[in-house]
Amino acid sequence: MPIKQISGCIGCEACVKSCPTDVIHMNKETNKAEIRYPEDCQICHLCRLYCPVGAITITPDKSIPVMVSWR
Amino acid sequence: MNPKANLSRRQFIGIAGGIAGAAALANIPFDAPAQENKPKIDSNGFDIENRHLDVLIIGGGMAGVFAAVKAHDAGANVLMVSKGRVGSSGLTPFAKGIFSYDKANASMSIDEFVDTVTESAIQTNNPVFTRQLAEHSYARVQELKDWGFFDSPLYNHSFMKPLSERNIPIEERMMITHLLKQDGRVVGASGFSLDLQKIVHYHAKTVVLCTGSGGFKPNGFPVCDLTHDGTIMAYKIGAKVTGKEWNDGHPGSAKNSGSSYDNWHGQIEEKPSITSAQINHHLGVDMNYQAYTQGAPVMMMPPRPQRPGEKPKQQAVTQQEVFPAGPFVPEAFKQSGPPPKPPEEGFLRGLVSSKGHSGPPGMGGEQVGGSSAGMAIHKSEGLVPINAQGLSTIPGLYAAGDALGSYMSGGIYTQIGSSLAGSAVQGAIAGAAAANDSLGMASKLDVSEQYLALVNQQILAPLKRERGYSPAWVTQVLQGVMIPNFVLYIKKERMMQAALAYVEELNEHHVPMLMADDLHALRLAHETENMIITAEMKLKASIMRKESRCSHYRLDCPDIDYENWQAWINISQDEKGNMVLEKQPFDSWPNFS
Repeated sequence: MPIKQISGCIGCEACVKSCPTDVIHMNKETNKAEIRYPEDCQICHLCRLYCPVGAITITPDKSIPVMVSWR
Repeated sequence: MNPKANLSRRQFIGIAGGIAGAAALANIPFDAPAQENKPKIDSNGFDIENRHLDVLIIGGGMAGVFAAVKAHDAGANVLMVSKGRVGSSGLTPFAKGIFSYDKANASMSIDEFVDTVTESAIQTNNPVFTRQLAEHSYARVQELKDWGFFDSPLYNHSFMKPLSERNIPIEERMMITHLLKQDGRVVGASGFSLDLQKIVHYHAKTVVLCTGSGGFKPNGFPVCDLTHDGTIMAYKIGAKVTGKEWNDGHPGSAKNSGSSYDNWHGQIEEKPSITSAQINHHLGVDMNYQAYTQGAPVMMMPPRPQRPGEKPKQQAVTQQEVFPAGPFVPEAFKQSGPPPKPPEEGFLRGLVSSKGHSGPPGMGGEQVGGSSAGMAIHKSEGLVPINAQGLSTIPGLYAAGDALGSYMSGGIYTQIGSSLAGSAVQGAIAGAAAANDSLGMASKLDVSEQYLALVNQQILAPLKRERGYSPAWVTQVLQGVMIPNFVLYIKKERMMQAALAYVEELNEHHVPMLMADDLHALRLAHETENMIITAEMKLKASIMRKESRCSHYRLDCPDIDYENWQAWINISQDEKGNMVLEKQPFDSWPNFS
């Protein structure tokens, strides 16, 4: 997983707004942020850095195959 | 003679098989390409809104902030719209060095700066924009200091300060898909919200594109939200664009190659720093050449940033001495001497030694290629300017930063920190010019309802398709075709023609069938189309440029052609919609009526 978990969310939406690739959305029922499109996470950590309560956990591995120019 | 230029038939077949295999692999993790679309939202339930203003700024990065501020200060009614959040989308959040030419402490004159960049860039730079960078960077950096830019690793707060103080309206998380044009002039832009079922038409007298560059949603580089949107929507209304044959050569780390954060060695957590004049010739395709000719693993030493108070010294990152047949590096910029020691503080320390790595993004340790695939050298690709204010070939349409093909540095990186500074400088100039242009217009131009209805239809088309192809799958096919080292980095005509056949198929047959089931996928559908058109441009420009220079390397034309290629390549659409390429001599402005 890239962005792995949001735990302790206070519903401020900072992560939703600061994610460049639209991975995180608000759950309208719980009023908390949820990971909706993890396959589009570029693992840049902006969401984690903007989160005021340290609720976001990220791992460095992609959830889809990584295409590179050579390996 | 380049010993690798003559490939055997067996070698060629091996490569050709590789490209087909890569494309086939792209199918693995996703659903079958043709499937029934079951939209989660009602495509008929969109609200349509209209805004009227003088100057529309598209993009909320470094260029966009300065454009909005200076357009406002010039007396215009300004609105900023951004696909993401101000200071937290595109490449701006990750750029931690900003160049400032401080006359009081300069180690070289501005004339020397321009001449040295021109020497490093082998004449591919536009000296008007190179000089403009040096002349204006100090003033922009002083403004950034006042806004608190250097006080935090995160830029949203400092960017919002001047915007809030001026009450400039901002609409975030809006995907702009269309520029509106009427009677030969740009009259606004249209797009949709990523959160609400809403299409907005922005009616503006002038527009400044600050939309950044783009890539093929590659791995290990935080450019996945940038897909050349501005360039492609401008191309579609007739603008000339340029710079598509150049390559940004950032590699990625073999370990955690999909993680932008790890590739950038946590640099995002550093506060930004100021860099001073020190001209290099680096981050072209030297490493790609090394990998192609020698195979993995590829290791590389980084350029050494200048320490505070130290006299600048020309140096370069190059494998030239090890691989003399590779991309040409001007003599004055070849790297020599022992490996450098890291600076003691600031983000530049992070460039050289941080968390057990060394080097700028991607560099240090064992590397993989193409982390920024699809992106050119900053400021080399984008709209063709017709003057130093960033006016495009479409009246009323300006561009700044990575959306403008200013060739500020040319087809190679020449000055650390100039990318961010150039966006600030060009944004400020374009914003003020767009404001003055708008204030000179007597009244706004009304766009016909019929035209807007067509735009609405085109925006929503992927939601309305019952069958088709998912943007994620099409993007993976595109990546499989375009990202391998032997296609767009180490270039050969036959291989590029093979890739072009794939890309034309995607453009002609798959783009019209891209489908979306929600707003996120709708965004991806439009981004995918933009990437595919960009791929076609990159291949056609690379095929046309039958020489090697800076970050464009042709294994079948390995030398610089000073006789025929003292020219940039401009791309535009003819009346029938065909992609047309033309040369524009270096150090000239385009001919257009």
